[in-house]
Amino acid sequence: MAEYKLLFEHAHDPEFKTLKGYLAKGGYSALKKAIGIPAQSIIDEVKASGLRGRGGAGFPTWIKWNGLPKDKSHGKKHYIVCNADEGEPGTFKDKQLMEATPFLLVEGMTLAAMATGGDVGFIYIRGEFLDAAKALRAAIDEAYANGYLGQNILGSGKNFDLYIHLGAGSYECGEESALMSSIMGERGMPRLKFPHVPLPTISGLWDSPTLINNVETYCCAPFIVNKGGAWYATLGASTKNSRGTKIFSVSGHVNKPGNYEIEFGTTLAELLEMSGGMKGGSLKACVPGGSSVPIMNADQVNKAVIGYEEMWDAGSMVGSGGCMFLNDKTCIVQFIWRTALFYANESCGKCTPCREGTKWMLQILERIVEGNGQEGDVELLMDITKQIDGRSFCGLGDAAAWPVAGAIKVFPEEFDFYVKNGKSLVNSNLKLLPV
Amino acid sequence: MSEFVQLGSVNERPRPPRADELQLQFSDLAIAELNQLLTHYPDKKSAILPGLWIAQREYNGYLSGEAIAEVAYRLERSYAEVEGVATFYSMYNTKHAVGQHMIEVCTCLSCQVCGVYPLAQYIKKKLGINFGETTEDGMFTLHEVECLNACDRAPVLQVGDQYHGPVDEAYVDRLIEQLRTSDVNTVTQMADCIVKVQTGPLTEPTSPTTNPTPTAAKRGRLKVDATG
Ligand SMILES: Cc1cc2nc3c(=O)[nH]c(=O)nc-3n(C[C@H](O)[C@H](O)[C@H](O)COP(=O)(O)O)c2cc1C
Ligand code: SF4
Ligand code: FES
Repeated sequence: MAEYKLLFEHAHDPEFKTLKGYLAKGGYSALKKAIGIPAQSIIDEVKASGLRGRGGAGFPTWIKWNGLPKDKSHGKKHYIVCNADEGEPGTFKDKQLMEATPFLLVEGMTLAAMATGGDVGFIYIRGEFLDAAKALRAAIDEAYANGYLGQNILGSGKNFDLYIHLGAGSYECGEESALMSSIMGERGMPRLKFPHVPLPTISGLWDSPTLINNVETYCCAPFIVNKGGAWYATLGASTKNSRGTKIFSVSGHVNKPGNYEIEFGTTLAELLEMSGGMKGGSLKACVPGGSSVPIMNADQVNKAVIGYEEMWDAGSMVGSGGCMFLNDKTCIVQFIWRTALFYANESCGKCTPCREGTKWMLQILERIVEGNGQEGDVELLMDITKQIDGRSFCGLGDAAAWPVAGAIKVFPEEFDFYVKNGKSLVNSNLKLLPV
Repeated sequence: MSEFVQLGSVNERPRPPRADELQLQFSDLAIAELNQLLTHYPDKKSAILPGLWIAQREYNGYLSGEAIAEVAYRLERSYAEVEGVATFYSMYNTKHAVGQHMIEVCTCLSCQVCGVYPLAQYIKKKLGINFGETTEDGMFTLHEVECLNACDRAPVLQVGDQYHGPVDEAYVDRLIEQLRTSDVNTVTQMADCIVKVQTGPLTEPTSPTTNPTPTAAKRGRLKVDATG
């Protein structure tokens, strides 16, 4: 299959960033439609669409939307939060969505507010993304000035305020409970989760009902409301349970790196072809969904169909869609060393398995790539991944363990060779270590 | 090998000023911005992050003990709480004063496989400093950062609010030449941009005569600590 541009249809039209240009392309017709129908029917459309969260976990979106109290007699505000902290190495789709189609996000969040009784919204953007933040600032200001945000939106009697909150450099703040801590002025550490405490949809920001979704998830909402959930569900219908389009951020050794929006059911090989094919060598490996997901070899890539369940069967995950292709000059051990460095750097330090485990993995990988690996190091690494995975307070621990364990399973000979011989099995001039 | 993760390193922090030493430096504009930001949240604590961004601008890019103390004072929180928050986030400069321009080099995965490490070496040599250090003239601070999430442009650098990529040695030469005479994309300008994006249009503008923005003149007062 070829690219399928739904969210990105007008991404290259600078006019689309202005309210006038957005309206000219049918923008805000979904909101106008939503104002005339009961809130529950918006949620029903999202249910019919089969939309799943695009932030990484693939959780059915409608269940979250349906989870906020329908009755607001509790007297608290409902918060609508957008996770725009995109920090997963390899991913850059939310950045382009915010820069090129800011109104899609603003309208999507307003639709979520209409569906769930939202009063106030926050877009949590990572601090580095200033172009994205400026584009959203301009869009929000225009929306306020023209009655699409604020009091009595388009005469509906409903109010919705939307604010921007910037992060300050922490990958962990992409985790939704850590993100809420960060909005509330704390260190970006995660909080206890369901079933130990109520879901965020009941008790999130400032103990009030809170909906959190990814940028891409919200950007799908205008299309679902406009064209209907049933229409949206026809996209990707060949897969088990993945509907619609997904944006993949392709980088690494390809000729045309960039964002590619595809329909679920497209193959990974087709995605590689769209990205101009391999550069500097033949395909050796692929990390298809951001640094947290297990690495695949060329054989697995050639068989993989893109879909949440399908990718799992192929040995990896859709994740956030940060797809890195690596050529045959790449030393996997050195690549995984850098992955481990990332997680050791970004571990928030709250729980022991992750705080200590990520550093141990790094220390062992560091001595291996320095040529001082010891017998039994690979087994030791495997053992540590098992102690971290499933035993950490939040998903960062698991995400740190999977790539290491996955790479040892798929490329065992590279690790063994490096430990035994003190040098890489791959003889290439690709310099992957600090000089 | 990697100095990036500092196992067991001590983060030296300045002594917090005593209450009677506290000298408030926020301009009228900064105060107006902080007041407007406070309307976004139900409590003052939630304004700590935006408040620290204002302080990073008002104090020339460095969150000194005085800067932290001013944020704590204005938000009615303890010094320890605000310092605890500030030191968690990598974009708040709490370790040392920084130069006029901060060059942040992404060495994460896509940039790694697209050759950033040799390039980083080139930049270090050219500026004569290591990661975490500032040039003697106070012009450049060099930092190593994790994925800037523009991997399609690997290898990527960020200077202030501007991304650069794909970058090679010739690009670095041109960039550094340009930055030497440039007063855009500076550390304080980036903080200013962040503050403006979050605050939105001021509903009660302050008069421009009473809101001095941090000037280059003040930079001379900053102790530039080259040890990182
Ligand atoms: C360590 C960690 C980092 C995460 N980073 C992000 C992120 O940068 N952006 C994002 O949308 N979701 C991120 N997530 C997933 C969020 O916790 C959450 O699942 C998501 O925001 C839900 O939105 P969705 O249902 O629309 O996917 C991260 C999760 C973990 C555990
Ligand atoms: S798993 Fe890591 S990031 Fe998550 S709480 Fe534990 S230490 Fe923090
Ligand atoms: S790895 Fe450098 S920008 Fe993503």
